[in-house]
Amino acid sequence: MKNTIALLFLSALLFSCNSNQKTENEKLQVVATTTMIADLLHNLGGDSIELQGLMGAGVDPHLYKASEGDVSKLLNADLIFYNGLHLEGKLVDVFEKMESQGIKTIAVGESIEKSELIGSDYFASNYDPHIWFSVSNWKKVTEFTTKKLIEHDPKNKSLYQKNSETYIKKLDQLQQSLIAKIETLPKEKRILVTAHDAFSYFGKAYGFQVVGLQGLSTATEAGVKDVQKLATFIIEQEVKAIFVESSVPKRTIEALEEAVKSKNHSVTIGGTLYSDALGNPDTNEGNYLGMFAYNVDTIINALQ
Amino acid sequence: MNSAQIEIQLIASLVAIACAIPGTFLVLRKMALITDAISHSILPGIVIGFFITHDLSSPLLILLATASGVLTVVLVEFIQKTGLVKEDTAIGLVFPALFSIGIILISKNASDVHLDIDAVLLGELAFAPFDRITVGTTDLGPKSLWIIGSILITTLLLLIAFFKELKVSTFDKGLAASLGFSPAIIHYGLMTVSSVTTVGAFDAVGAILVIALMIAPAATAYLLTQDLKKMLLLATLFGITGAILGYWSAHLLDASISGSITTVLGIVFLLVYLFAKNKGLISVLYRQKQQQKEVLLLTFLLHLHNHSDEEEERKVAHLNDHINWQKVKSRTVLSLALKNNMITIDNQIIALTDKGKTFTEEAINYIITNKDTEIEKMKDRFFLFRG
Repeated sequence: MKNTIALLFLSALLFSCNSNQKTENEKLQVVATTTMIADLLHNLGGDSIELQGLMGAGVDPHLYKASEGDVSKLLNADLIFYNGLHLEGKLVDVFEKMESQGIKTIAVGESIEKSELIGSDYFASNYDPHIWFSVSNWKKVTEFTTKKLIEHDPKNKSLYQKNSETYIKKLDQLQQSLIAKIETLPKEKRILVTAHDAFSYFGKAYGFQVVGLQGLSTATEAGVKDVQKLATFIIEQEVKAIFVESSVPKRTIEALEEAVKSKNHSVTIGGTLYSDALGNPDTNEGNYLGMFAYNVDTIINALQ
Repeated sequence: MNSAQIEIQLIASLVAIACAIPGTFLVLRKMALITDAISHSILPGIVIGFFITHDLSSPLLILLATASGVLTVVLVEFIQKTGLVKEDTAIGLVFPALFSIGIILISKNASDVHLDIDAVLLGELAFAPFDRITVGTTDLGPKSLWIIGSILITTLLLLIAFFKELKVSTFDKGLAASLGFSPAIIHYGLMTVSSVTTVGAFDAVGAILVIALMIAPAATAYLLTQDLKKMLLLATLFGITGAILGYWSAHLLDASISGSITTVLGIVFLLVYLFAKNKGLISVLYRQKQQQKEVLLLTFLLHLHNHSDEEEERKVAHLNDHINWQKVKSRTVLSLALKNNMITIDNQIIALTDKGKTFTEEAINYIITNKDTEIEKMKDRFFLFRG
């Protein structure tokens, strides 16, 4: 038996030497981790890239489980775009290591300067990864991504540039319409209570006070005291509505609703916000622009 | 097949072997659940490691995770030794406590960091080929392959060196102590190996698959053999079968590799459970049926013996209404008795043969003296055909 194992081990070493045989394909093979990044690449590359998304709609990136097909997607990719900042958990380390094997991996989170990132109160160099919830951040990501696409596929440079300009215009329009909508909401009503801390960048960009019931990690659960404290806060600030997230179970937010009710006040669940993933691809919320507009509409309508 | 696919199968197979060895002993010692416990109780180790290094990718986190696993084992053993609770209860007491300490530490001190087991241990077989070791420009292969390979070699060396001790202390603690080696040391050694294997394999293939690979192949092997060596070999074989078949079903279904391997392991267990020669469900049911028929036969023979003088009682037609047997039942019993040369039927009248007479008398003897087990042995001597 020992011999067999030694043999297996040896053959592994042999096989691992001739890895990275890619099929030559004219189109650039691109893999994106989250739905947000896949949507961006779809807008930038269109039909001139072969785009594969790893995570589906409504998948919590921390809880993503790979399927067998994902292995070949990653293996055959020329470029892999991921969020970074630990959003994809341990996968981020894997992507960093893949660099050394000739597979180019790009963390779009790098495009945001460190000073713009929201850091942890306790541990330096650990940042909030939900950067897409500020349109100005996403513009930077768009420019960065365009630059990387051009770098690796110069022959389509003009196409990428044109698409990028169009998309940035759309983002600007979105930004303006969002601000106009948010202006209609009185400043003291701009309090956003959600299940986990996904909306800090949103709060910073649009002047909302953001309170998450759960911490950043979706592995921990909200404590009883957290719920009670937040319930008191909601009553004192007269918050009208709280929000459920598409990729986090609603149980905790419902517990909060109950806690407020038990103190003889009322708060409604204002709707479901898209946080870590976009909606279904065939709906309007299946792209970044639609998702953001939907989130803001939901928030404004419920808090008004 | 591309190189990543080969590497995944190779890693899965090595993990299967590395898990099957401690798994066999854990199943035999009724401590199979310790793996599940360890997969949870490593959390505080990871959290404390992070507090020290402030870095999610530091190897110290994995080191402390292993230490935390060993601590689980020590605490379980300690509680169990008090004799107040059983093994499973002790496991159930220890790991939730440790896991909760981890959770409390996170929510008190690091609620704004993505800190959980998944953030530190990869636990995804699909990505194992991408996490490689390179020295300079030379690619040395996936990291998991090296980790699991070293764990496996250590485990094999320990198994070969301490096979006798492990065997004796697993089956007879008293004898082990009197032979001069402490069952406690062997026990801790085994548990430490299990803990290290769990954490190492966890990083390569994920928690659920580790638990499945530790328990399912060993449990399947246990249905087939009582011999420790054979059990180890069979468990290894089942583990590898599960790993390879599971990988290819994941390939066909484009599904999670770990999930598919675990499912295949479950199906293999089910098949063996149903069809195993001695302990399998079907053979047990068959034996019960056989047993029933033979009891009927014995009742029938006793009846004939009691009424050896009265022809009226021994008529074939009479059996139906007298002993309350249905036609089919009486026919099968009659034919069984005939096949075994216990009776003769002459003109619809049944009579015991000499062989039938001796058999019945011996049986009566055993029943009176309460030695029912002897009847089973007697059947082997007398029966040409079983029920």
